[in-house]
Amino acid sequence: MQEWFETVSGKFVMAFVEGDRWKLYLKGLGVTIEIAFFAAVLGLLIGTLVALMRLSVKRNGKKTLWSRLAGAYIDVIRGTPSVLQLLIMWFIVMKSCKNGTLVAVLSFGINSGAYVAEIVRAGILAVDKGQTEAGRSLGLTKAQTMIYIVIPQAIKNVLPPIGNEFIVLLKETAIVGYVSLTDLTRAANQITSRTLEAFMPLIGAAVIYFVIIKILTILLDILERRLRKSDNR
Amino acid sequence: MIIVKDLHKKFEDDNHVLRGVNYHVHQGEKIVVIGPSGSGKSTFLRCLNLLEVPTSGEIWFDGERITDPKINIDRIRQHMGMVFQNFNLFNNHTVMENITLAPVKLKLMSRDEAGENALKLLERVGLLEKADSYPSQLSGGQKQRIAIVRSLAMNPRVMLFDEPTSALDPEMVGEVLEVMKELAESGMTMVVVTHEMGFAREVGTKVLFMDGGVIVEENTPREFFTSPKSSRLQDFLSKVL
Repeated sequence: MQEWFETVSGKFVMAFVEGDRWKLYLKGLGVTIEIAFFAAVLGLLIGTLVALMRLSVKRNGKKTLWSRLAGAYIDVIRGTPSVLQLLIMWFIVMKSCKNGTLVAVLSFGINSGAYVAEIVRAGILAVDKGQTEAGRSLGLTKAQTMIYIVIPQAIKNVLPPIGNEFIVLLKETAIVGYVSLTDLTRAANQITSRTLEAFMPLIGAAVIYFVIIKILTILLDILERRLRKSDNR
Repeated sequence: MIIVKDLHKKFEDDNHVLRGVNYHVHQGEKIVVIGPSGSGKSTFLRCLNLLEVPTSGEIWFDGERITDPKINIDRIRQHMGMVFQNFNLFNNHTVMENITLAPVKLKLMSRDEAGENALKLLERVGLLEKADSYPSQLSGGQKQRIAIVRSLAMNPRVMLFDEPTSALDPEMVGEVLEVMKELAESGMTMVVVTHEMGFAREVGTKVLFMDGGVIVEENTPREFFTSPKSSRLQDFLSKVL
């Protein structure tokens, strides 16, 4: 028992304490969160815009050119692996850019935007058509009706799936090692190869991801409950 | 005031709902439209403010051809109030906000003016104490009275009613019809699609019978109900009266 405990604690010290290795995880976690956060913001902006484009119709009820473009964007992004998108962005589209974090944020933001667009579109469609008709019948423009009436109600609908998308996005950033950024996953991987011990660094990284996502989940729950309150006032 | 010329509306190419409607609504008239379901009466009403875009034909409102694709329909709609079967109050806004949103956002009134005006209108329909409630806290009858007030807050020149009492519990129909009667007495031009024959007889200046996408018969309420001419109207009245 004693012997077992010493081996485990020895491995723990080697994986986290020696040579201040804990700082590497922390730094990696910082990179993960930085990329995920800015990509989420970018994805939300792109997604909302693309959803509105996709929903736009001409006077005769036919799809607009914007709608077709938005549809094509969603198809392309969802039809290709995000690792490939990241590599294409890094080695081809932004070849001359030396800022890996920026490239990653753009790549993940553009990727997430496609998924967010479909979520937002569904959220807007779920708002009763009568709400739009009432707004338009009063003389409000399409944009005013969207901004003051439809979107505030759609936000409630989309919050749960958007939260899910953010969680997926945060974990998806684990592939940024491909463009030589050191995020949490790559940090753990590097320590594994340096110490020739896989268990502690990998399980440690997994636990850190889990805790971060658990915190995110709790925050989203609180937000959702607060928004729902207006329903049964 | 509203002139409709040879109005046609087709949905999805094969569903021909309006097949040539012609009508002239004059200032101050209260036009009541009745007819079996599927006769096109709601579609006709919804075409008047272009919530449905007609397939062909013309609609003129106060001397402007509103079916002209170049016209700013939002500006026209500011003068045409509409009341829906399902109330369609904005669920994310209080009663007060529902009433003041459009006048304020369209810069027709300041927030204070609109608020004052809203309180006056709410008092008129006896719902002053509901100003800060949300739609989910109101009964159907209350919702519909608020919806009428919301339209009136824009000072419309005409009010369109699309089966305003059809979604109400029977005991709430009266309170909504009461508000509509008062509105009619105040001189408002109204076009009302309804199944309330009593309302048609009492308030209407003209009653239209629609069937199969056309106006089959039109007359004063007295003539309309006592001596219907077409067999289709006779048949319809024998079923509903």
